[in-house]
Amino acid sequence: MGGRSRRQRRARGTASVAEALLWLGPALVLIVGIVLYPAITLVATSFGTYSITGLRKGDAGISNYTNFLTSPDLPRVIGNTGVWVGAVVVLTVLIGLALAQFLSKEFVGRRFVRWAVIVPWASALVISSQLFKLIYDYYHGVLNQLLLSLHIIQKPIDWLGDNHFTMASMIAVGVFVSVPFTAYLLVAGLNAIPADVYEAARIDGGSPWQIYRRITLPLLRPAILIGVVLNLIYVFNSFPVIWILNGSNPGFGNDTLITYMYKLAFRSAQHDVGLSAAAGVFNVLIILIAVGVYLRLVNWREGKEA
Amino acid sequence: MKKSVRWGAIVAAAAITSMTLASCGASGGSTTAKSGDVKSIKVVIAEYSKDHTKTFWDAFSKTYEKQTGVKLNLQIINWNDLDQQSSTMIQTGNVPDILNENAYASYAADGLLYSADEVLPAATKADIIPAFVKSGTYNGKFYGMPDLSSARALFYNTDLFSAAGISKAPTTWDEFTADAKKVTAIGNGAVGYAQPLGPEEAQAEFAIWLFNNGGDFKKNGKWTINSKQNVATLQYLKDLSVKDKVTQNNPGGTNRTDGAFSLFEQGKAGMVVGFSPLQGALDTQYTGVKYAIAPMPTGDNAAPQTYGVTDYLMSFKKKGNQDAVKAFYKLYYSPSQINTWIKAEGFLPVTTSGLAKFKDDPKLKVYLDTLPNIHLTPTDDPEWDKIKLTIQQNIGLAVAPNGDPKKFLDDLQAQAEAGK
Repeated sequence: MGGRSRRQRRARGTASVAEALLWLGPALVLIVGIVLYPAITLVATSFGTYSITGLRKGDAGISNYTNFLTSPDLPRVIGNTGVWVGAVVVLTVLIGLALAQFLSKEFVGRRFVRWAVIVPWASALVISSQLFKLIYDYYHGVLNQLLLSLHIIQKPIDWLGDNHFTMASMIAVGVFVSVPFTAYLLVAGLNAIPADVYEAARIDGGSPWQIYRRITLPLLRPAILIGVVLNLIYVFNSFPVIWILNGSNPGFGNDTLITYMYKLAFRSAQHDVGLSAAAGVFNVLIILIAVGVYLRLVNWREGKEA
Repeated sequence: MKKSVRWGAIVAAAAITSMTLASCGASGGSTTAKSGDVKSIKVVIAEYSKDHTKTFWDAFSKTYEKQTGVKLNLQIINWNDLDQQSSTMIQTGNVPDILNENAYASYAADGLLYSADEVLPAATKADIIPAFVKSGTYNGKFYGMPDLSSARALFYNTDLFSAAGISKAPTTWDEFTADAKKVTAIGNGAVGYAQPLGPEEAQAEFAIWLFNNGGDFKKNGKWTINSKQNVATLQYLKDLSVKDKVTQNNPGGTNRTDGAFSLFEQGKAGMVVGFSPLQGALDTQYTGVKYAIAPMPTGDNAAPQTYGVTDYLMSFKKKGNQDAVKAFYKLYYSPSQINTWIKAEGFLPVTTSGLAKFKDDPKLKVYLDTLPNIHLTPTDDPEWDKIKLTIQQNIGLAVAPNGDPKKFLDDLQAQAEAGK
């Protein structure tokens, strides 16, 4: 159907180049200004030598890249990034699936619950992160007070300062702020599944678990796919949560590639925008590869099953 | 369709990632005229406090514009973002005319700044306290004009001290440790000493202690970061938390403003190294805390040293802005301006006339007496700008239970020497 209408429009005469540009203009300006120009600047910066003041001193060749790739903190930072992205995305999708099932059922007060779920999504990441910083506080945090008064722990835990807990505490916040979007995406996916498929399954005597595995999950696949890809990108690029919760910790022990990139530019002894730009280019490549690999993996499996 | 999803996703990934990066790089344009004298100057000021900074600088701008006919484009930036923004301005060529920062030597080394000979009236220069002229001088020229200063001293909670049976402030490190133990022994959440060695301002905490142990970062033009005294100092600071257990939890991960100061403001900390803005907060907001101020205890039985900090108002060489910049300094250093500003923010003067003006203020007396002999960090060496960042980022690791103070300082010394 789409094909036919397109053919009809073409038959009525093509737009001139000028006319086309007029329509495309605003979008092109946006793309060039917001995507292309910064990307080109980023790459250009990554090949320059910069003073601590930000002044360009000359060409660096590829030395920013070699310095970045050989920096001793990098393996740790990459490991942190893997744990952070992996854990947040997997937990977010799993919790999102459960929550979406719940939200798509009819029950009293559903409207209220749906609104409540939106709140963490609607509030700015910086605000949520500051809030959790207070909740996790060693001396005055609600979490420690609660666990102490329930006698679950004997002395307070340094959720953000003790290296055993820092990453886990940050992941919990990452999941908290990512779940609403994912849940709503999946609710939409669930609503798109026709009711008669379920009816047929029930008539054939399928158990609820069978129905969920054989019907709901496969039909939800496109929604899950989009949820995972978008979360991969958002979580990888998530700056405020880690920046704020990890803000008073020394060193790079809990940094991800994104916060590490920022510290390279403005907070570390290197204080080098060129080096940081090289890190930025590296980050873009990493996320592109991650998304590409994931989609290939999913397609490959789907192809085999079909 | 699958293919389009994949490409859509990849494009989205690229777009979002580059937008994240772009947000680090964007900044406004400057509209300085290129021919003849400038019609406007861009002045970037650090936000010392929400209440007073904007009030003062708005009024200042009005006076300046009336006097000179040059428009003053004021931009006040939070300390946390200042470094990133100023660096971005220079990177993208939107250089300000005047920049308020806590470092200047790297800018001078890059040849970006006017020296005092070019923009500071001689009478004004003569009024600035010599210690600050010295710290603002790079390669024999005075580039870093001080805007205000602060000095640190030991604050102690007199209620906690009397509860612990201590009658006077400690004067030696042994007494300090003993007193901190006594305060900690009170229990009920009392902390002997609130020690901020987190990334915010750790170089200040370290400097205060090492100056009072006969140490320094640089002596006679040579880096002395891993000197015997400095290693002993950092070991002592580590022992306070790891061995003696008289500090708050995790000092290496505690920042000054939202960590150590807030413990003291809540009456939980026996001692903290503070400065006049903390005093201001205690006198107006946290009036329940009874406190007193004393000179720092010393580790080497020498006279106490006062650690001081000054920030800078540096000016950038741009075509046609020299007169406008000169007029800016002339107005800023006039007693009615600078003293109003310093008094409002609760800091200390940088001029001899300011010293005279504030000398009768009983609250400032403890600092003012030592101000002319104040001990500063080597801000006149561009390499210090990087050393400072390393200390801020990493000293917390050196004082952790598995940290190695000596190795940390050895590495730092190597970094400083390699920078030359």
